[in-house]
Amino acid sequence: MKTQKAQGLFLRSAVATLALLVGHAAMAADKIPRLANGKPDFSGIWQTTSAADYDLEPHSNRKDAPPGPGIVEGNVIPYLPKALEQKKKNFENRDTLDPAKKGWTLGVPRAVYYPEPFQIFERAADLNIVPQFGHSVRTIHTNHTDHPTDPNDWWLGDSRGHWEGDTLVVDVADFNDKTWLDGAGNFHSDALHIVEHWKFIDANTLEYKATIEDPQVFSRPWNISVILDRHREKNFQLIEDYRYTLDYDQYYPPKPAKQ
Amino acid sequence: MKQRKRMFKLSTILFLSASIMAAYAADEVRTAPVQPPKLGGGIAQEKTVPVILSGAWSGKRLADGQPDISGHWSNTISNHSNFTDPQGRIPGEPVRAGTTQRPLGAREDRAPSRVSDPADGQVPFQAWALEKVKEFQVGFQNPTSPEYIEPLARCAPAGIPKSLYWHGYEIAQYPGYVVFFFSSGTRIIHLNGKPHLPENIKLWNGDSRGHWEGNTLVVDVANHNGKALFGRSGEFISENGHIAERYIFDSKGLRYNYVAEFTDPTVYTRPFTVTIPARKWTEKDKPNGWHFEVEPANTGNRELVLDRFERICTENNGGFGLGAASTGK
Repeated sequence: MKTQKAQGLFLRSAVATLALLVGHAAMAADKIPRLANGKPDFSGIWQTTSAADYDLEPHSNRKDAPPGPGIVEGNVIPYLPKALEQKKKNFENRDTLDPAKKGWTLGVPRAVYYPEPFQIFERAADLNIVPQFGHSVRTIHTNHTDHPTDPNDWWLGDSRGHWEGDTLVVDVADFNDKTWLDGAGNFHSDALHIVEHWKFIDANTLEYKATIEDPQVFSRPWNISVILDRHREKNFQLIEDYRYTLDYDQYYPPKPAKQ
Repeated sequence: MKQRKRMFKLSTILFLSASIMAAYAADEVRTAPVQPPKLGGGIAQEKTVPVILSGAWSGKRLADGQPDISGHWSNTISNHSNFTDPQGRIPGEPVRAGTTQRPLGAREDRAPSRVSDPADGQVPFQAWALEKVKEFQVGFQNPTSPEYIEPLARCAPAGIPKSLYWHGYEIAQYPGYVVFFFSSGTRIIHLNGKPHLPENIKLWNGDSRGHWEGNTLVVDVANHNGKALFGRSGEFISENGHIAERYIFDSKGLRYNYVAEFTDPTVYTRPFTVTIPARKWTEKDKPNGWHFEVEPANTGNRELVLDRFERICTENNGGFGLGAASTGK
């Protein structure tokens, strides 16, 4: 009798907890910002707290990086043997070869988890993503258009998105091979193809997942996942970081002759 | 109008004030002189600057109340080859062997200086600064020193005001923001009244705070690093400069004039006004390799939707003067 009562109590509290959880989830879904058309509005300034850009794979600390658990599902990027050799060379020479060290465009998906904020400007027809670092702007088209039939090889690829419920699913193709995936020399070819899933966890947190495919470099598609936090500091804003100009910006503007 | 008062006699001011009041009273900007731009055309499409007065906005509005001026825009008169004689040549441009220079004709047959005040169309440089500009104009033709290379040629942001007469660009609007997507950098205009960045932070595009006054986007620019020259003619502002901009849109949404007062006590003898006319480009226009770098999107043969070329500079790998191209087709 006593046990039954206890079980009943347990069951009741479990149901209550479940209801609370469901209620909480529903509430979170209600509370996310939305555009007038009802789609989730990702507009805002976002940044990862992860150490993903130092190395997507799990890594110990090193002179130029904090340690990190990695963001690769299964921990290991499935390189083809020849590509793995290239990756190792890239790692050894990362100080001079890493495009980000030169201030060059981070590319996709690196701009998502590079340790600087980026701002999303969202409208019904597109999302424009402006990273603080560099000068490139990525447009994700959500206007029911598809990849061009006669594409270029673009630095940022070509991004076409659609909504599956409250998740933005983006197909990114038509890349060049000039960007890296992180600062540890992980790389890709111009056959890179990415499928991204962007969704709110709550109003101030985004979950970003991507499936990365490149038959010239990897033996199979592989997945990454990071959390992005909204910057909520008072008056926070992007501060342009055109770092590639630092090598020559001392020459401008002209200055009066020293007295 | 405030910036321009000093160039008019008192009677002129009174007359203009009366006209402006009348325009306000009619609840519509006097748009009679604003003709629809011709479709297509080269870089130098027009020779004149239309009159667009600040006043009420009677056109379409966005849900947040901003006048709807979103879309593709480009300057109408010329590129950045020459700041004060926009349809003239790059100063000191040599004649290439075996070619002849096209005759320029009389100055009044070309578009006016982008300096609309003072009346002589020249930047009121202090003596040392004018010397530097002249030095640049000579050095630019055969750069023997890094400062004679126009920074845009190395993919540096075109900055202010040059971004407005480099390639065409997109203006996008969001609650709290007007954003300029240039092919050589992005300008985010904050509309929410937050304070400027701390003074010691200096930026290629400065730090912009704006608000709407009727048909006019009023923008205050601080934190400017002064590094982006105004053109191949070498005019400049310094990191001590301040720019007060007015983007005056006609209510039909076809055109706007950029009218900005540049102040810098370390470079100029007095504030001066820069005027840059711009026009909108829409689906009705043919794509244009300078002003309107778009192509039809893959819609599966449904309605026409235009894709903008990737907004990116080719990462410092272009030749002299050619670096800052977008990677379009």
